[in-house]
Amino acid sequence: MEGDGSTTDASQLGMPGEYMAGSHYVLQSQDDDCDESLHDHEEGNGSKENFREQDIYLPIANVARIMKNAVPQTGKIAKDAKECVQECVSEFISFITSEPLKLYLQKFREAMKGEKGIGGISVTEGLGEELTDDSFANQLPAGIITADGQQQNVMVYTTSYQQIPGVQQIQFS
Amino acid sequence: MSSNNVEEKVNHASNSKGISLPMTRVKLIMKSSPDVSSINQEALLLTTKATELFVQHLALSSFNNGSGKDQTLLYSDLANTVEEKETFQFLTDILPKKILVRDYLKLLEENPIEEADN
Repeated sequence: MEGDGSTTDASQLGMPGEYMAGSHYVLQSQDDDCDESLHDHEEGNGSKENFREQDIYLPIANVARIMKNAVPQTGKIAKDAKECVQECVSEFISFITSEPLKLYLQKFREAMKGEKGIGGISVTEGLGEELTDDSFANQLPAGIITADGQQQNVMVYTTSYQQIPGVQQIQFS
Repeated sequence: MSSNNVEEKVNHASNSKGISLPMTRVKLIMKSSPDVSSINQEALLLTTKATELFVQHLALSSFNNGSGKDQTLLYSDLANTVEEKETFQFLTDILPKKILVRDYLKLLEENPIEEADN
């Protein structure tokens, strides 16, 4: 047998009554800033794992309570069902956090390239919640985007004042 | 700015019976996504509430979809619902169906896995 404790090799699981999951849920450890933001949370113990279970999941009691309120009164919930919904919840939160951001970045980049001239304005439609009002408090540069020889007047939203290639600045009086 | 007003509303919502999930924990999970720096208070509240509704939706769908035995929500109900419903497709990786080892071995015998390079 190999050194690592767990094995998914079916032939080595002798007991016929064992359950075997198709794929194992692996926690991805990130080596970037996320580490620090976690460790300056209450405990500063040098935990080897980057994400402790209690940090990445919502408390199971809360989750279980919501589930119980959702199903009919007489219903019961299996323990492994509760645990798995707990994981799903964290996945859900990550999903809805990252998806709007991806959409926003995609539209933003398209607008910057000037492929969609009016796209500069539609960037606001895909805004992720991460951007607060402060990022737009600065003066908005306006410009003319040239794409394929076509000139279009467009307002270009930027998070910081910067020169954007392909965009000529227009001075507003 | 109206940020103070927003914060008051947010605190009120979390103190009253509206929200039963800890927003600080939700915020932590949100921050674990790459490219996320700061999170708007309103967005956090919205996400927390949405998460709550998601739990209810998942639990109820799985329960109704379930085997109906003893009125119990089982893991298998969840796995089946996730596979069948389109809205839950993003959960397929973390909710695999479980299979008994002996059934799996039987399956292997019937359909031997070929070592093909796809």
